[in-house]
Amino acid sequence: MMIANAYELIVYILTTIGVYEPINNIFMSFGLDDILKIIIMLVEIAILFAFVLVTIMFLTWMERKVVAMVQSRYGPMVTGPRGLLQPVMDGVKLIGKEDIIPEKADRWIFTLAPFIVFVPALLVFIPLPFGESLIISDLRVGLLYIIAISAISPVAILLAGWASNNKYSLLGAMRAVAQDISYTIPLALAAIAVVLFTSSLSTVDIVNAQAGTWFGIIPKWFIFIQPLGFILFLIASIAEMGRIPFDFQESEQELVAGFFTEYSGMKFAMFFLAEYAHLFAVSGIIVTLFLGGWNGPVIPFIPVQITSLVYFLIKTYAVIFFAMWLRDTVPRVRIDQLLNLGWKIMIPLALLNLLITGFVVTAGVIQ
Amino acid sequence: MIDFVFLIISVLTILSSIMVVQSKKLVHSAVYLAGSLIGTAGLFILLEAEFIAWVQVLVYVGAVVTLILFTIMLTRKGEEENAQ
Repeated sequence: MMIANAYELIVYILTTIGVYEPINNIFMSFGLDDILKIIIMLVEIAILFAFVLVTIMFLTWMERKVVAMVQSRYGPMVTGPRGLLQPVMDGVKLIGKEDIIPEKADRWIFTLAPFIVFVPALLVFIPLPFGESLIISDLRVGLLYIIAISAISPVAILLAGWASNNKYSLLGAMRAVAQDISYTIPLALAAIAVVLFTSSLSTVDIVNAQAGTWFGIIPKWFIFIQPLGFILFLIASIAEMGRIPFDFQESEQELVAGFFTEYSGMKFAMFFLAEYAHLFAVSGIIVTLFLGGWNGPVIPFIPVQITSLVYFLIKTYAVIFFAMWLRDTVPRVRIDQLLNLGWKIMIPLALLNLLITGFVVTAGVIQ
Repeated sequence: MIDFVFLIISVLTILSSIMVVQSKKLVHSAVYLAGSLIGTAGLFILLEAEFIAWVQVLVYVGAVVTLILFTIMLTRKGEEENAQ
């Protein structure tokens, strides 16, 4: 039996332990069978968001630990084993802080902007396949959905920078958006090259197209068919996230903290959490598109849902670790170098990649 | 059920469209415009035209509203207040 998404998985588990039928009968007797569907969907979304938020907290700890490792320090060690409870303490501290709104700021937009940043960062996870049938909704246009939802955050960044009424915030926002819109183009073009192979925008179809191996050894991941596309996508997504070496939006030496200079307390925390949610989402998308998603060797006696989730998380954390490692290794580039790289090198290379992919697909060399 | 959702989305879209021309500040108008365009995308989803809906979000909210905001920010703030 094929289980398409998390909703059907929950129904399947409930049916197997024999609870689904009686519950469904109770709801049916009141004529409320739609309500049961909505309750199950809310439960799965709550599980997803709880999982994502715990991951974000873990990532803030991991980032500090990786930086400390590179710089021969210990990093956070006091709260909990190896400092694991540090993110909880940070959260408690940030909730306790005073929520300051500058006097000349535009109050309404100043309050709205963190929410417009935070909500799309969570919405991106809806068509992301965490494992076999562990997906909230397998949209037919999943990849387009991801790109479209990510395009909302520049608007919010501009609003945050403008509403703060601070020159550093405005400059940071301008830079962030200039960078964001110039790197979205190679990002989308590299993703389209993958779509040419799968002829489907659904993330599940893309993962399924990468199942199996060549000659029994090399996995059929798109990184081996699309090495140039993978490198372009990786660079463009690191630039989109605004991490070092491309962190112009908050380059501390020049702009204090970029577009969220004036934010404090929970609003600051929302920008911070959105940044890490974005890191997790983008790493997941890289894994889905190029590193075979949840594909991996099948282990007998363990349900495929669990093994595929483990494979997905291992690959995602490898990409996240790479991004953190890069942050500690390379210095920041200059703004003109960044825009030159984006417009004069990455976009022509992405177009070339698309052209070659078109030829390969038309000739039918790789199936 | 679908009718109910349609009603909510349409009311929100129309209200934010009215607010685009009603609000005093240009940046607020741009935010309401984004809201109205997202509402239109919601109507496309109700018509089961997912592709057009997300292209609508990508092109209009992602590109057009960003462009409008950029343009507004390049004008000086004093002029806007003097005009009122």
